[in-house]
Amino acid sequence: MSSSEPVLRVERLTSAWDGAPVLRGISFDLRSGELLSLLGPNGSGKTTLLRCLAGLDRPTGGQLWLRGTEIGRWPTHRRGIGLMSQEPALFPHRTVLENVAYAPLLAGRTDRAARDEVAPLLQLLRIEAFVDRRPDQLSGGERQRVALARTLAARPAVVLLDEPFASIDVELRSELRAEFRRVLRELGVAAVHVTHDREEGLFLGDRVGLLFDGQLESLGVPSEIYAHPTSVRAARLLGYNVGSDATGPFAVRPGEVRLGAPGAGRRVGTVVAAGTVGDVGLTIVAFEDGARWEVRVPPAAPGASIGARVGVDWDAEVPLGPAPEPSKEPKNGRTLQRP
Amino acid sequence: MRVVGGWRSWGGLVPIVTFVVLFGLLPIGILFGTTLAGAGGLSGLVAVASDPLNQRSVGNSLLQGGLSAGLAVAIGYPAGVFLGRYSWPGRSAVRGFLLVPFLLPSLVVVLGVLDLFGPSGFLSGPVPALRPFGSGIPSIVGANLFFNVPIVILFTAAGCDAASPELEETVATLGGRPWRAYRDAWGASTWVGASVGGLLTFLFSALSFAPPLLLCGTRCYTIEARIYSLDQVLLAPDAAGVLALLAVVLFLAPTAAYLVLLGRLRTRPSRRIRPLRPAPLRSPAVLAMAGVTATVALAEGALLAAILARTFDPVGGGGVGSAWGTLFSAATATRLGLPVLAALGNTIFFATAASLLTVLLGIAAAQAVARRPHRGVVLGGLLFLPLLLSPIVLAYALATFWRPVIGGAPNVWLLIVVSQAVLALPFAVQSVEIPLAGLAAGASESARTLGATPWVAFLDADLPRARDGLLTAGMFAFALGLGEFTATYFLVTPQFTTLPVALYGLTDARAFPVADAAAGLLLLLSLAVFLVLSVGGRRVEL
Repeated sequence: MSSSEPVLRVERLTSAWDGAPVLRGISFDLRSGELLSLLGPNGSGKTTLLRCLAGLDRPTGGQLWLRGTEIGRWPTHRRGIGLMSQEPALFPHRTVLENVAYAPLLAGRTDRAARDEVAPLLQLLRIEAFVDRRPDQLSGGERQRVALARTLAARPAVVLLDEPFASIDVELRSELRAEFRRVLRELGVAAVHVTHDREEGLFLGDRVGLLFDGQLESLGVPSEIYAHPTSVRAARLLGYNVGSDATGPFAVRPGEVRLGAPGAGRRVGTVVAAGTVGDVGLTIVAFEDGARWEVRVPPAAPGASIGARVGVDWDAEVPLGPAPEPSKEPKNGRTLQRP
Repeated sequence: MRVVGGWRSWGGLVPIVTFVVLFGLLPIGILFGTTLAGAGGLSGLVAVASDPLNQRSVGNSLLQGGLSAGLAVAIGYPAGVFLGRYSWPGRSAVRGFLLVPFLLPSLVVVLGVLDLFGPSGFLSGPVPALRPFGSGIPSIVGANLFFNVPIVILFTAAGCDAASPELEETVATLGGRPWRAYRDAWGASTWVGASVGGLLTFLFSALSFAPPLLLCGTRCYTIEARIYSLDQVLLAPDAAGVLALLAVVLFLAPTAAYLVLLGRLRTRPSRRIRPLRPAPLRSPAVLAMAGVTATVALAEGALLAAILARTFDPVGGGGVGSAWGTLFSAATATRLGLPVLAALGNTIFFATAASLLTVLLGIAAAQAVARRPHRGVVLGGLLFLPLLLSPIVLAYALATFWRPVIGGAPNVWLLIVVSQAVLALPFAVQSVEIPLAGLAAGASESARTLGATPWVAFLDADLPRARDGLLTAGMFAFALGLGEFTATYFLVTPQFTTLPVALYGLTDARAFPVADAAAGLLLLLSLAVFLVLSVGGRRVEL
């Protein structure tokens, strides 16, 4: 296998639940050592996609290739694809060490060999200090670290991360994100990570994909994906304000909107909420067409009182297209690599 | 600082605890004290323990209990896994049907065993080699299995439900084959379930009454039957009381183990319920499980069908169906001391009263255990204590302590209702307690913040969600009351004779197939209750 050949290739994967489509022809490649983040709202098919990749759910169509071998019909335990979920699912009756060493022991290593094998992982994830504890004696963040160490100890070709930080405290979340990214890079493991948190997706992924209604709408490097939202729903997911004019829908970043007197801007709206979030002033403006925009300004900037009519102007806008049809290939970032 | 909920939240337990203490623990404690004193204290205890016949009854209890439990687990475990893990056509119907034996009177089952394997049984007739199953220990174990294999199946299936699906999937994604997932992730909880079922089987079988009495005789008497014999036949109440005390000591450990394991079975490690997957019938193991399940369902159905079929045997020169006519005849009324319809009326009255009492106590208990699973376990233990002491001891204690208080024989119906309620409570209250223990606090807390008192919040927010559980509890208590024989037989006077007691009289006199007709009547009543439960879509938990 050449180094440019993908570790995992997903081709037109489809899945359904009680006849209703959940995945509608998902295709992408995952390169060696790459971390692909798939960003999507609740119900977009993120977890189903990962479960299909892991072999826990059976897709209704499409193909899966792992290092050049079609694995679509392989049972989960033969795939070599690790899955880490929001719930760490540690063995409650085993210690941290026994949890992490589970896969090496499963592969027939002796206790000593398994211990030696997982020692670098324990160190890498900074959990070597509590190897003798049981899961109920660990904090949420520690449990997630142990779960990742256990997943990596199986030496999977691909790691799947299903919202692994969703149940972690906010202050610990950013620390864990950085930690996971460092560890995955250091080990050079390819990973697919799904989340509904745009900040997390854009931070972690070498490439980012946007998933809506079981379709992969965009795929590319984070800066491009963020800079060029392709549809109204993509723009909303990425945190843009969405408007519409004679040329069609467009998106504006919250930080590029300015407020002024009612006649000073391109649109006129009413302030419905205003306050500060840390060192940023946040104002919500409602328009007559029902749209609401977020306006982020320095706290020192002149604020508008609730109920006041304001003029809204902006520097740059991104034109948006309609959401693609189910059968269309994803665009932007822009085209998928085809075999 | 005042703890929210504090001591007031225990208030709901007061009625049920008072009830169990007054009508269970107190009379039994007094009974033990007086009989022990009457028997001469420790020397009396030694004398009762060293009596060869008593020792034989202990041996019989252990043998019948052990054999029944071992076989019930061996048969029930694979069927329980098949029921708990896979979806297949008719699964819900089979799961519901498996509850029927538990609701059946023991006498009906005894009669079914005789109809299949007795001297002119449906199976032993054409295949004489099966006759040993119509009498002696094999027939008793067979009857015990009929009741208890479904219990093991249902508890094993509950063990499947209790396993963490995430852990099972994790083992697979780490490279573990299915059998490793069984070993490391989900197998343990199925064995917890099977062990709960096995222990319950052991207790029920070791303390069984009707099967040894009717299928074998004195040489197979369990402790329960021996206590009855000592008190009612040999007129040695002190010895009976002391033997009951020894039985309590003997069965304390398995009862404690049952309660501990039951608590573990209810502690779900995961919020997600594992979806059922279509049964992979190409797998030999799964095929074998399916075979065992089908065999159990067929065997259960065959026994019930044999009873109903036997009721159509001609009797006394009559034609097909004459057994039913004879059952309601004046001759049978004379033999029983009252018309069968009156016995049926008594049965329905006692069962209805016991179920109402159970529901009222269940509502109060539900308030105390809502969202507090640990209290549920404690309550379960308390309610199970009278059962550990066996129906015959309970009836004996109630008769000794309460009969003079209530004014003797004319009011003995009160004690029959109370005894049926005490015996139904452990199982009936679970139907309320299990759904309430797992409730989210949201609605109740919202009601509290809107000004509702804890009781009003419970009535408005929690109780509606336990409504199905309460109805199930009532139906469950009703069904158990319909079939209750042991305690009722001990307490009853002729005017309050129930259908199971009448059935015992007919079976003891070998008045077949009139006895079958009486059993068929009870069976049809039990099936009607089961249908009401099933049609209502209510899930019943043992």
